[in-house]
Amino acid sequence: MRIVVAYKWTCDPEEATVRADGTVDWSRAKPGISTYDPVAIELARRLAEDAGAELIGVTAGAKGVGAPIAAKAALGRGLDRVVVVEDDSLGEAGRSELAAALAEAIRHIGDVDLVVTGDSSVDVAAKMVPTVLAGELGWPAVAEVTAVTGQAGKLRVERAIPGGTQVLEISGPAVLAASADAALPRVPGMKELLAAAKKPVEHLDLADLTVPARSAVMTVTGRSRPDRKARKGQLLDTSDAAAAAAELVTALRGAGAL
Amino acid sequence: MDFDLTDEQELIREAVREFAESELAPIAAELDRDHRFPEEILPKLADLNLMGMPYPEKVGGAGADYVSYVIAIEEISKACASTGIIVSAHTSLATWPVYRFGTEPQKERYLSDMASGRRLGAFALTEPAAGTDAGAGTTTAVLSGDEYVLNGTKMFITNAPFAEVYIVFAKTDPAQGTRGMSAFIVEKDTPGFSVGEAEHKLGIRGSSTPPIYFADCRVPKDALLGGEGSGFKIAMQTLDGGRIGVSAQALGIAAAALDASVAYAKERVQFGKPIATLQAIQWMIADMATAVDAARLLVYRAASCVDAGRPYSTEGAMAKLFASETATRVADRAIQIHGGYGYTESYPVERNYRDAKITELYEGTSEVQRMVISRSALR
Repeated sequence: MRIVVAYKWTCDPEEATVRADGTVDWSRAKPGISTYDPVAIELARRLAEDAGAELIGVTAGAKGVGAPIAAKAALGRGLDRVVVVEDDSLGEAGRSELAAALAEAIRHIGDVDLVVTGDSSVDVAAKMVPTVLAGELGWPAVAEVTAVTGQAGKLRVERAIPGGTQVLEISGPAVLAASADAALPRVPGMKELLAAAKKPVEHLDLADLTVPARSAVMTVTGRSRPDRKARKGQLLDTSDAAAAAAELVTALRGAGAL
Repeated sequence: MDFDLTDEQELIREAVREFAESELAPIAAELDRDHRFPEEILPKLADLNLMGMPYPEKVGGAGADYVSYVIAIEEISKACASTGIIVSAHTSLATWPVYRFGTEPQKERYLSDMASGRRLGAFALTEPAAGTDAGAGTTTAVLSGDEYVLNGTKMFITNAPFAEVYIVFAKTDPAQGTRGMSAFIVEKDTPGFSVGEAEHKLGIRGSSTPPIYFADCRVPKDALLGGEGSGFKIAMQTLDGGRIGVSAQALGIAAAALDASVAYAKERVQFGKPIATLQAIQWMIADMATAVDAARLLVYRAASCVDAGRPYSTEGAMAKLFASETATRVADRAIQIHGGYGYTESYPVERNYRDAKITELYEGTSEVQRMVISRSALR
């Protein structure tokens, strides 16, 4: 059995700061494995341990995802090997381009029985990649997965649904998006981290993958936030409640609010 | 000069921080309040190979470098300084002399168990009347047939009674002074070995430091570590490394106090704005941050010397002196920034303040470190 975990190497927005002009300063944000992806790795690792399966990480993105530390961080969490597609065009790519690149990498690996992803990425949080990836592969997609057991071709999957749990049996390959709390990720041991550098890392060139051309290109062309009206900063003396109330009504009428 | 950590060192910091924040930070205040040794944490530390980081994998260790080891002690101590010294005393003071001076049979018997964390170790040098003057110890070991008979009292023994293996220093020839001191590996269950009442300490209350007693405690002749008369040398060399561990513990305490102060200064509002906007607070934070960074550089430099196979006695003493005095000063400033709240158990800085002081005292007081450093400077 061969299990793939699709993970993202990115910066945590909580470590970024927003400049006065509204642009985001990422310079002090350290990249790492996206917050929910260690949950996916843990869920897949448990299944791989039970089933004696090979566990492979796949990631795609702009310059940086191919850095040795990115691979070691993932491999230290129990993956047997990783496959990386590093291309600057994937940095601003939409979800469909990214999913298409991941799908090609998964086809390149071959004989994959299951793909597990995190609930969502910490930076974009669109929750779309698992579904689009499944579409690219022609496989079923299941979100909010809380548990998975079984063997290749006969998987038992539990997913959280409003008010309870749904149990599914899947006879072929599938893409599962782990729920955010599906499994508590193990802290990597020191030996695992030190051994990570010895595990195989395969770099794929995007140009060599047959990623189909997109029929439509979606680009973020701008961002805005609602205008915030300047506050008047008007304070009322409330020592005389009746007078303060009258003053408040007058002020609200004056502002056209009443 | 390269100030960047390796990928492995960065990842080790992140992993140990993840462990410390999830497993140690939630219990640190309770351990302190109840003077409770965190026995349940030891198997978890062992699972992550944190009980023998700098030793090769073939002897049960993690095979990490010394810089990684001090990073781990720093991160553990940021969350819980008591756990920091439990790990450091076990790794640097108890396991190291076995690794460095043990015979092959001794290594076979103890090293794998200790470096993997299956058996906890302790270091027994200090006595009621022999602290800084460690050579003045009066514990004796008399050869009787195929056994040594130990008699005496040791004080402030970190990890007792939970430790199973003790590196004990005793005089085999009292007339020779420090040259008559020898080191022994003593197992906890040896008849004649006993443990006294726990000390009630100002800080690091999760660390157990009772006295231990030897009353006609007979150990086999092959429990002798190194040759007869080499005990003082073993103790001093062991402490050279131990001091780097303590310096990392002090660094962790100082970094914790700084982080808490930065967070508090940003959220605490006085005069209608966060106190972080006040220059009085900014200057304190600036001095604290600079001191913590300088301490970190000295600690990592000392550890780098170990990795490079260079002498590290002076560098370790400098690291410990500066990091420990930084810890007490930074923790003091942290309370100042927190004001009255900092004096209460509602915030961790009062624990940082109490925990910090010991780092100026054990494994050589600041005065001893100055002796070591001045000897080198005036050579």
